[in-house]
Amino acid sequence: MINTEGMVAETATKIYTDLCARDVPHEAEAGRYPQALWDALTENGLPLAWVSEANGGFGADYDETFGAIWASAQAASPVPFAETLIANWMLDRAGLAPADGSASFALSGHTPSADIPFGMHADKIVLFDEAHHEISLFDNRLAVRSPEESLSPDGMTQFIFSGHLAEQSAKTDLSRRAIEALILTVRAVQMAAAMESALNMSIDYVTQREQFGRPLSKFQAIQQQLAVAASECAAATMAATQAASAIARHADDPEQAWHEAVVAKVQIGHSIEAVTVPFHQVHGAMGYTQEYDLHHYTRRLWAWRDALGNEHHWSKRLGETLAVTSPDHVWKGVTTGQWIAS
Amino acid sequence: MQRFNFPVVQPDPALEDLRGELQAFLKEEREAGNFRPEPECWMAAADPKFSRKMGKRGWIGLTWSSQYGGHDKSALERYIVTEETLRSGAPVAAHWIADRQHAPMLLAHGTEEQKLDILPRIAAGECYFAIGLSEPGAGSDLANVKTKAEKVPEGWKVNGQKIWSSGAHMCHYMVALLRTSPADGRNRHVGLSQIMIDLSLPGVTIKPIVDLSGDAHFNEVYFEDVIVPDDCLLGEEGGGWKQVTGELAMERSGPERFLSSYITLETALHQLNGKMGSDSHARLGKLIASLRTLKGMSWGIANLLDQGVSPETEAALVKDLGNRLENDLTQQVRAMLNDLPSEDWSPDMRRIMNIGVLRSPPNTLRGGTTEVMRGITARQLGLR
Ligand SMILES: Cc1cc2nc3c(=O)[nH]c(=O)nc-3n(C[C@H](O)[C@H](O)[C@H](O)COP(=O)(O)OP(=O)(O)OC[C@H]3O[C@@H](n4cnc5c(N)ncnc54)[C@H](O)[C@@H]3O)c2cc1C
Repeated sequence: MINTEGMVAETATKIYTDLCARDVPHEAEAGRYPQALWDALTENGLPLAWVSEANGGFGADYDETFGAIWASAQAASPVPFAETLIANWMLDRAGLAPADGSASFALSGHTPSADIPFGMHADKIVLFDEAHHEISLFDNRLAVRSPEESLSPDGMTQFIFSGHLAEQSAKTDLSRRAIEALILTVRAVQMAAAMESALNMSIDYVTQREQFGRPLSKFQAIQQQLAVAASECAAATMAATQAASAIARHADDPEQAWHEAVVAKVQIGHSIEAVTVPFHQVHGAMGYTQEYDLHHYTRRLWAWRDALGNEHHWSKRLGETLAVTSPDHVWKGVTTGQWIAS
Repeated sequence: MQRFNFPVVQPDPALEDLRGELQAFLKEEREAGNFRPEPECWMAAADPKFSRKMGKRGWIGLTWSSQYGGHDKSALERYIVTEETLRSGAPVAAHWIADRQHAPMLLAHGTEEQKLDILPRIAAGECYFAIGLSEPGAGSDLANVKTKAEKVPEGWKVNGQKIWSSGAHMCHYMVALLRTSPADGRNRHVGLSQIMIDLSLPGVTIKPIVDLSGDAHFNEVYFEDVIVPDDCLLGEEGGGWKQVTGELAMERSGPERFLSSYITLETALHQLNGKMGSDSHARLGKLIASLRTLKGMSWGIANLLDQGVSPETEAALVKDLGNRLENDLTQQVRAMLNDLPSEDWSPDMRRIMNIGVLRSPPNTLRGGTTEVMRGITARQLGLR
């Protein structure tokens, strides 16, 4: 589930409402990092939601934390909230203390360097080294950071791991698939939330803007475009929610949630074109401006779609995995969400 | 938080036992040559013998009480039966519509005698119903129905014509939307009623319409001074519009709106076993992701319906997304099959693919067109 009720989700929602109003994402892009927003999240311990109590966190419900991530994406959060949650979860699963400050993550396979979301802002980088079953924490401030071209306003940097000494390292029993499951699910929740915000903006816009003497919303061509977009948004939310539920159900063994997470990534990745085209179309030229808010969502959607492999990559991965199982197993997965691991 | 109401519901292990029984039965029937799997089986593959077998096993009439021949089971169990029969492409079209639509309608609006007489026959797989909504001048614009029922001493006298009535040539009854009193000015939704018509009555003429594949599944149905008894009026006189729209929500969200062509993929998976290239893997992955997502949405609605909630817009969304997926599935499988030289295709594969292509146009028409579904969604978004 993606539960927007409960303490964690409600605290996050309140912080985002109070400290991430419309101007904040704009200012962040202009280079004024919203430190107050980040401080409020930290003071309330939210980046430690997925850290076990034994390790100084509060082992919060997955469902509620997904609700907090939903709120952050709807506010076009310009701070690495979801990234820090993931990084701290990885550290915790290796028995390491959570990061001091903000953090982002990288998976080996992309080594020796990695494209790090929020790489200019994160204090720490957490690396999963698949070959050695190891999770390591690096100080990002000591690295030479070079911003890469990115679709997202949150940016992306290269981190060259070779030559850097990890602050801490530990073995983990997490598999690559387990980590992928969580990351893809978090991204799916962010994408579904951002899609819905952009849909709401589009509906408001066409109801207010008049052309030919009536609101745009009265034109059937506009209605049909937004109805299609709305159906894709509803599907995205379902896919993200199914993935989130699988993570919660398989908290001890997130690898079991891999198929549902990949399904969500594929479904939503393929939907993004189907929603961002009409969202921009119905906004006319206004939606193409820096001044207007729509791009806070659509640029992130385009970036998240590509992050960790695009929808074509994951469709192929999923198809390859299923093609070697029997058609009975495929059917079982489709109808019940119980996928036979392969 | 979210605009639409699609609860996520985990499968119930008890329901999965039922799934196993169905799978065993359907496999046995197919292997015995008692049916050849087909896409769109719920509309186009009718076999009364098969329907009676389903009835004997207790797989029709799951949801109503045993007093009326039913089995006191939930709508969710019915959903599993629906899914499994679609997956296997079984010939279920004869009883499908009566089981899905008209039995619940009779339970809500029928007389005690009608329930005792008709419902057990539906559950036995022996009594079939046709949907009488469309007319030559009333398709998407359904409120434009002209077929009339006039009050007479013996009951109602029906005159007019219905069209596209699926299965009417083999059905025992039609529930028709009829004008029983004139429209109130421009409000055409008043004065419409639902009437159950015994299709063996004098004055009823049924003419099959041949579709583009050469089959004849739907019909023109003419009524000439047909007299139906009073108790065949279902629900309230003049309440037809409201009843019909309620019924449509139920009709639009079931697995038949996105699994009608699954048999094409299933057959291809057997064919392509170990021979799929990377392009096909990508197509397969995309299809599976969409199927899984739609199952979640449709299952969410089934659970709401089971609790007595009838989400009309959500049903329209599922139908629109599902119909697009069904047609896309056939196209994707066509492309995937390129990995296999066509001389290696089994005759069944070729037959099923061809049927799938020929039967693709109705997906986005029957039960309300895509454009109409999007209109419903747009209204919910506050745009109309
Ligand atoms: C295989 C099959 C089985 C069927 N079975 C039954 C049955 O058993 N019983 C029954 O009653 N009916 C049945 N139908 C009829 C079906 O419900 C109608 O075909 C459907 O409602 C569309 O009506 P129409 O064919 O008259 O098309 P029209 O209404 O003439 O529409 C033609 C096109 O115009 C579009 N259009 C129409 N109005 C609008 C509008 N306001 N805005 C935008 N676009 C619009 C439509 O979406 C469509 O694309 C069946 C149809 C098929 C194909």
